[in-house]
Amino acid sequence: MSQDKIDMLQRALAREKAARKQAEKILENKAAELYEAKQKLEKSYSELEALLNKTDSQLQGVFENIVDAYVIMDLMGNILKMNDAAVGLLGFSDASENGNLMDMVHPTDLKLVAGTFKNLLFEGTVTDSNFKIVTKQKIEKLVHVNASIIYDEGKPVAAQGIVRDITEINSLQIQKERLLEKLEKSNDELQEYAHIVSHDLKSPLRSIDALVNWIKEDNKDKLDEISLHNFSLIETTLEKMEQLISDVLVYSSVGVETLEKETVDLDALVSDLKTILFVPDHVSISVIQPLPKIEGEKVKLQQLFQNLISNAIKFIDKEVGLVEIDVKDNGTHYQFSVKDNGIGIEEKFHEKIFKIFHALNKSKHSTGIGLSIVKKIVDLHQGQIWLESIPNLGTTFFFTLKK
Amino acid sequence: MNILNILLIEDDMIEVMKLNRTISKLELPHNIVEANNGEEALKVLQKKDELPDIILLDLNMPKLNGIEFLNILKKDDVLKYIPTIILTTSNNQRDLLECYRIGIAGYVLKPLKYEDYVSKIEKLLGYWSINELKQI
Repeated sequence: MSQDKIDMLQRALAREKAARKQAEKILENKAAELYEAKQKLEKSYSELEALLNKTDSQLQGVFENIVDAYVIMDLMGNILKMNDAAVGLLGFSDASENGNLMDMVHPTDLKLVAGTFKNLLFEGTVTDSNFKIVTKQKIEKLVHVNASIIYDEGKPVAAQGIVRDITEINSLQIQKERLLEKLEKSNDELQEYAHIVSHDLKSPLRSIDALVNWIKEDNKDKLDEISLHNFSLIETTLEKMEQLISDVLVYSSVGVETLEKETVDLDALVSDLKTILFVPDHVSISVIQPLPKIEGEKVKLQQLFQNLISNAIKFIDKEVGLVEIDVKDNGTHYQFSVKDNGIGIEEKFHEKIFKIFHALNKSKHSTGIGLSIVKKIVDLHQGQIWLESIPNLGTTFFFTLKK
Repeated sequence: MNILNILLIEDDMIEVMKLNRTISKLELPHNIVEANNGEEALKVLQKKDELPDIILLDLNMPKLNGIEFLNILKKDDVLKYIPTIILTTSNNQRDLLECYRIGIAGYVLKPLKYEDYVSKIEKLLGYWSINELKQI
């Protein structure tokens, strides 16, 4: 063997050795990785097992502590397991007693429940099913049931359900509906009654006014100045009486929610009011910020602003009168303000003025109902009303309306 | 201008006096026939050769009230053509809508003040006296 050949073989051997060493190294690394993976797998497996145990005990807790009755039954309705609430609801003496849920369904609801059961089997769940049962103690109850099928390897094996006794809730609900209906009817009647009373009260006033006028006409040159003045006082009194009756009618209808709520653009409403209301030349009304749109009854919201603005105008005693309307957003409500530079209201009257028939200034145009109407409307819109005032400087009424 | 035959259906004596006095005060040539309630009015309307040109109808009346009367009137093939104007104190929207639904020629609120009443009646009768009405 030539030296060259030996060298060549030795180099080949060295290469092979190196390659093998490399392969061994790789193998060793792989084995380490594999070991590590196995370790991880074992760890996560034990974690999973722990988790499963934990969930099971948690479920057990839920099962025992749940307020509602919880029942597991086979597909024939035989009870397999139930919690204490279920034992109580269904009238058993303890959880180990045997029973069939289907046998407890009230005869009148059998058809209904059969349909529900069919749905349960086909859909896998039923929710909000209400029917009557007769408990072991022979007590009729209305129950609310949510149920689902339990599957084992894709095959339905049992059903579980949450049962709630709604007998009382249901009777309360019926009672509430009846009461509401009654309330609506008596509201309606009251409204009609108010209209009739107001008609009957106003008729004599019209007659008196006509009679007074005829006496005046028929005795044109015979009446002295004092008599004529007294006649004019009668007429003023009649006007006031008529105003009172109208206001009482408005007050009594404010509480009745007859109209559907709509979106009311208060900005448009107030600028309309500015043209309708009598505003003397020396008084100016300004709206500081654009007013929002809110949900409410337009007629009532108009009454609200109209009463406050005309009140503000009425009690201005300065040469230059200012009425300022403003709004602020406070989250759930809008807070409005109507500010004037009028005569002001002493603090001791701040509560009293919202009560009916508490006019502070006895005058032809004050019936003492305006602000109580305002308060009622604000109440209807879940708001509040209050005022700040300095006598001789002016008053600001604040009120909130729910958005 | 037409001379109107007016049937006034009104239970309040002073209201009847008011219309009469208003017409004489305004020196209007119209004739007024009075009925105290719906029942009486139906009797008046039985004379088919003396039917009124217009009817002024109060709503709140005993026995047959205004709306009941209106219903009967509008179901009658002859009487339904007589323009009927409601003259009432009731500004109840429910009454107003019901009247327009059945069919009325106007809805006038009785004002408190006598002079306002005179002015309303003057306009009302002025309007109807220039209208063409069904010949009997």
